[in-house]
Amino acid sequence: MADIREDILARLVEVMATVPNIHTVHRNNVDITDDQMPAALVLDGDEDVVAGNDGSRPSNRPLLVEMTPEIQIMEQSSAIGSDLTTFRRELMKLVLDDPTLKAKTGSNGKISYLGCTTVFGWQEKQYGALQMRFSFKYPLKPDDL
Amino acid sequence: MSLDYSSLLYDPVYAEIGVPATLGAVSLTVIDDTRPKQLPAGSFADVRGMGPGAFARIPELVAAGIIQDDWMDAVLAFNGRSWKVRSYELRGSPNGEDQGEVRFLLKEIDG
Repeated sequence: MADIREDILARLVEVMATVPNIHTVHRNNVDITDDQMPAALVLDGDEDVVAGNDGSRPSNRPLLVEMTPEIQIMEQSSAIGSDLTTFRRELMKLVLDDPTLKAKTGSNGKISYLGCTTVFGWQEKQYGALQMRFSFKYPLKPDDL
Repeated sequence: MSLDYSSLLYDPVYAEIGVPATLGAVSLTVIDDTRPKQLPAGSFADVRGMGPGAFARIPELVAAGIIQDDWMDAVLAFNGRSWKVRSYELRGSPNGEDQGEVRFLLKEIDG
């Protein structure tokens, strides 16, 4: 059995745990409390077929798919702007250069950074969230699942 | 003749549920408005925590010599905690804004 999608998501959680100063790491937990910050979230993303789905081959033919998981960092701080910038820099380097993730995407796949958005607000401190979007393109072989 | 909302409403309420406070060096009475707060943190996730706040009466502040220009970044202490004023909302009153309340929006002193 080889489920590359699950392997990538599981590895992303491991990678997030290595981002300096992250306090807690979560997968698909969308209910974070302020004492868990700085928190990192991996949310299982959408998956779309990008090649091989032309209908002229067997239904279990290999496909090339693209997954776009949501990765978020949440932090509260008196210097929230520069803190999020640091998290963005560290996370981008770790994801785009991780040998395990590169290997999982294969020779005809790739990892791309698509951009980020930010959200800010107040509780007892100012908090901010950085939502980073990556794309993972990899082969999907139904016979291997 | 209009009703006096300070004597009929605000003063009795503050006498019942108000707590002693200091704003800088001045003593006053506030109503603790610290409440749970849940805010969006991206497309799907939320962050839950506390949003500290307090109500005060404008006439009491004015009588103590505290004007609006003094509010921002002032240290407000009540119920065993000290906070810094990060913003405020004027709540008005049927007798006019100067006879109403202000809701102080607070933050940790080092936050």
